[in-house]
Amino acid sequence: MEAVVLLLLILPFTAALVSLRAPAAAAEAVTAIAGVTCFGLVLALVPEAAHHDLGYLSYLRIDAVSVVFLLATSFLYAAVAVYSIGYLAPSRRRGEAGFSRYSRQFYAGLNLFAWTMLAAPMMSNLALLWIAIEVTTVVSALLVAIENTDGAAEAAWKYILIASAGLGLALLATIFAYYAGAQVLGEHYDLSFAPLLQSGARLPHTPVRLAFVLAVVGFGTKMGLFPVHTWLPDAHSEAPTPVSALLSGSLLAVSFYAILRYYQVAAAALGPRFPRDVLLVFGIASLLLAALYLLDQRDVKRMLAYSSVEHMGILAIGVSFGAPIALAGVFLHVLAHAAAKGNAFMGAGVLVHKFGSKRISGISGGLDLLPWSGPLFGIAILALAAMPPFGIFRSEFEIVEGGFGASSNVAAAILIVLVTLAFFGLSVAASRMLVTPRRAGLAPGSAAALVRGEPSAWMVVPVVAGVAVLLVLGVHPPAELTGLLTRAVHQLGVGA
Amino acid sequence: MSSLAGAAAAVAAPSVYSGGSSVIALGVLLAEFGMFRQALLRDQVRLYAVQSGLISVLAILVAAVRHLPDLYVLAALSGALKVVIVPIVLRRLLRGIGRAGEDDPARGWTEIAGSGSLGLASTVLLAIAVAAFGFFAVSALHIRSAVLPPAALEISVSVALVAFILMIMRRDVASQAIGFLSLENGISLAALVVAAGLPLILEVAFLFDLLVAVVVLELLIRVHHGRAESLSTADLTSLRG
Amino acid sequence: MSGTLPIPVIQFLQVATVAVGAPGITGVIARVEARLQGRAGPRVLQPYYDLAKLLRKEALAPEGSSWVFLAAPVGAAACYLTVPLLIPVLTSFGLPLGYMGDILGGGLILSLASFAVAVAASETGSPYAQLGASRAKTFAAITEPVVLFVIFVVALVTGTDLPYALAATVRSSASQIVRPAHLLAAAALFMVILYETGRIPVETHTGTNEFGMIEEARPFEHSGPYFALLKWGSSMKQLILYTILINVFVAPWGLSATAQAPAVVLAIAALLGKAIVLGTVVAVIDNSFAKLRLFKITEFAAAAFLLAVLGVFTLYLGGG
Repeated sequence: MEAVVLLLLILPFTAALVSLRAPAAAAEAVTAIAGVTCFGLVLALVPEAAHHDLGYLSYLRIDAVSVVFLLATSFLYAAVAVYSIGYLAPSRRRGEAGFSRYSRQFYAGLNLFAWTMLAAPMMSNLALLWIAIEVTTVVSALLVAIENTDGAAEAAWKYILIASAGLGLALLATIFAYYAGAQVLGEHYDLSFAPLLQSGARLPHTPVRLAFVLAVVGFGTKMGLFPVHTWLPDAHSEAPTPVSALLSGSLLAVSFYAILRYYQVAAAALGPRFPRDVLLVFGIASLLLAALYLLDQRDVKRMLAYSSVEHMGILAIGVSFGAPIALAGVFLHVLAHAAAKGNAFMGAGVLVHKFGSKRISGISGGLDLLPWSGPLFGIAILALAAMPPFGIFRSEFEIVEGGFGASSNVAAAILIVLVTLAFFGLSVAASRMLVTPRRAGLAPGSAAALVRGEPSAWMVVPVVAGVAVLLVLGVHPPAELTGLLTRAVHQLGVGA
Repeated sequence: MSSLAGAAAAVAAPSVYSGGSSVIALGVLLAEFGMFRQALLRDQVRLYAVQSGLISVLAILVAAVRHLPDLYVLAALSGALKVVIVPIVLRRLLRGIGRAGEDDPARGWTEIAGSGSLGLASTVLLAIAVAAFGFFAVSALHIRSAVLPPAALEISVSVALVAFILMIMRRDVASQAIGFLSLENGISLAALVVAAGLPLILEVAFLFDLLVAVVVLELLIRVHHGRAESLSTADLTSLRG
Repeated sequence: MSGTLPIPVIQFLQVATVAVGAPGITGVIARVEARLQGRAGPRVLQPYYDLAKLLRKEALAPEGSSWVFLAAPVGAAACYLTVPLLIPVLTSFGLPLGYMGDILGGGLILSLASFAVAVAASETGSPYAQLGASRAKTFAAITEPVVLFVIFVVALVTGTDLPYALAATVRSSASQIVRPAHLLAAAALFMVILYETGRIPVETHTGTNEFGMIEEARPFEHSGPYFALLKWGSSMKQLILYTILINVFVAPWGLSATAQAPAVVLAIAALLGKAIVLGTVVAVIDNSFAKLRLFKITEFAAAAFLLAVLGVFTLYLGGG
């Protein structure tokens, strides 16, 4: 197992280094191999983590909660790595100037980004966790700016400024967590997570309360909670599509992971009431905002970004319910959302490639012109809107069930209403893009002679895999996964 | 005829160390307010260097009085980084902003910061209100530090809050970046107060992140300037909704 | 017995020191400033000669002005003669009349004097006088709260608002001087002094820059003995404010602890000496900085306000 973990750390980093120097074709292959291998490695970890925690080198600590997030990240890493081959192919075919430099930066950045997101859930130490997330910010900001358009520059600037300010608050949270820990564990407490959790009940209340709120606001900036989500629609829509998929599907989840760790400590020290209330407030605010904004979107990737805000709100609300089944739903939701959002972005990327425009009004007749990606995109949107039999339906159902079970009836009802609202917004836009027949002479520049056909098979395969995952998660999650989730719920509920 | 000799002081006098360290921390806050006043980017960078220098001095003072040898290393490292290297990097970046062949090739360095929506005095009054909130909020927490007086923690949180105001009110990317760097200063001051015994690893990593952030900021400023030929953020309004 | 002065004499000496010494301090500052500029400068005693000359001149009043115009200089001078009774000028112990009012009262009386002069100036209908009066009162809206906050600092540190108590506290140990609230309050008060006495960076004291005048413009329309009273009043205000800064905040040493004549004489000399030193500092500032544009003076006042507010906060909330 140690070899698995170490390989998981080394592989993406090596791939990044290789991509810096190698020609584009080699970089593609290396990235794809690294991605798929990492996913396989994490799958190998699942049965282990379902039974006991793993710890190596005193810096790494992997428990069931970590593996859930590792699964989400590694799946998207694999999917996106394969997808990128098709995504960058048109640029390579056209032989654009500077393409080799662009592709080197792109692949190196992609691998580095995935590396940091894989490393973060494995950190045993709150300080290292913060550092890992800080590095994800830095790398992803550069990736957002890589397109070098006006919009990309603006989005990257907003992103780095807001996210770094938020992480400054999160650093303050880490400092106060140290202070709280030092009161009980002595001045040389090194911010390890396990001792802090164990001595939870003895921690002084005020610093823990302060640390938790600061962590929610600080890491919530990276997670996309209202009101510090303002960078999110810009950054996710201006980044290249594979990066958007990783940002929405994995990075938000990893930031949520950080909040969960602070939640564990806060629940152990303060009791469950206060942390849950805080998360509920932020969750409902995010959900409300996203649902409203989804009703009036003009840009397909921006719409998907708001959908991410919506789902992050659902995650926060789910944790605030506190019932074990709600928590199980939360973890399942992390996995299912990663798959569904990845699918959606990847499908949107195909649409944008095909029709040459990001605007919803510029895309129509998707089902006719794209025999695979059209329906797949439609399925992805339906999955995001919590249609059965896909994974998100199952997870949201569990969350709502937990909510009613824990007598948070009002909150659960609000959740249902807002999710329906979001569904409405998403489906209107999607049907406009997919079902409405193509009007002649609509696309600027290119003639009405858009032929029916996929731009690239590489862009279809990952989406199919994603749909398969969603079906599996929705219909019958495998036994090991259920065991993992149960153990994760148990760990999160410690002290509840 | 009452309360002269033997007037029990309403607020007891602090020790010389307490008073002195509070004064230095106060200097950090005043430097933060000073950044509102500075119109030239060059002066803002210098003020940032002064602020970082004050924090290093405070760290050395704490290390000397409270016998924490780790802090000497930290003070030296952060001093070297924030007082010397970062201003030099910023200066080179801003000097490079000017177009070649122009009258003043160092245009960026002497550029006037974009003014915000409120006038200066109103902004300062707003910042005072925000700092007051910081003071009251932190004092209500009753967190006692082992190494510095409680005023220092209140001051550090106020510095962070005022830095937020600075970032919001400024209208050009360089001032926003400097505002962000002063936010980091405020947080490192808070770290000094609450966690002076913190293991070196966190501090070193923190400085590493600062360096990386500066590199990224420099890159993005270049990108922005490369596209817009100016440092103003007035054009960064295309992404809405 | 030998050399012990009765208390009423000491009281009288407090007022007399301020009244007689004030024009001298003005003269010294003018001379130092001129010297720093490389000129010979006027005689140190020139203000006395000016006052004597003015007393002999005829007084005129503009048409349409009422009794206020003539009463204001007298009222202002009366106020300025009252305040030295309340603050530690010569002694470190409180004199009987000193309990007539605390430092808040002293501040109020100073404001009253300023108000009277402003009203008289507004009455005249002359553009410059009115301009000066309105500007002075506008900026006073920010500087008066600064004085209040400084008073709060005094009150919080000592638990009383008697300036004598603060002086005693400051003398008690060096750590009192280093405390941030003390330094902040002293700095804020110094900035207010620069404003109230009309020096750089608020106004140019030399020359007649009419568009920039604030304090200088208010006595524009008065003449003869009334003008003399106003000039004398403003130099008394200067010395009073200097005295508050020196004897309460910065350097409260040299005050006589007893009623012995030699000690009192020493105290007089010490006070005037310290005032001259402070005046020199002000002259150096005069020659080192440029006058602020009128709209920037709000920034100056806001900075003083900032210092005062921070002083109160660090004291009240931070134990500093």
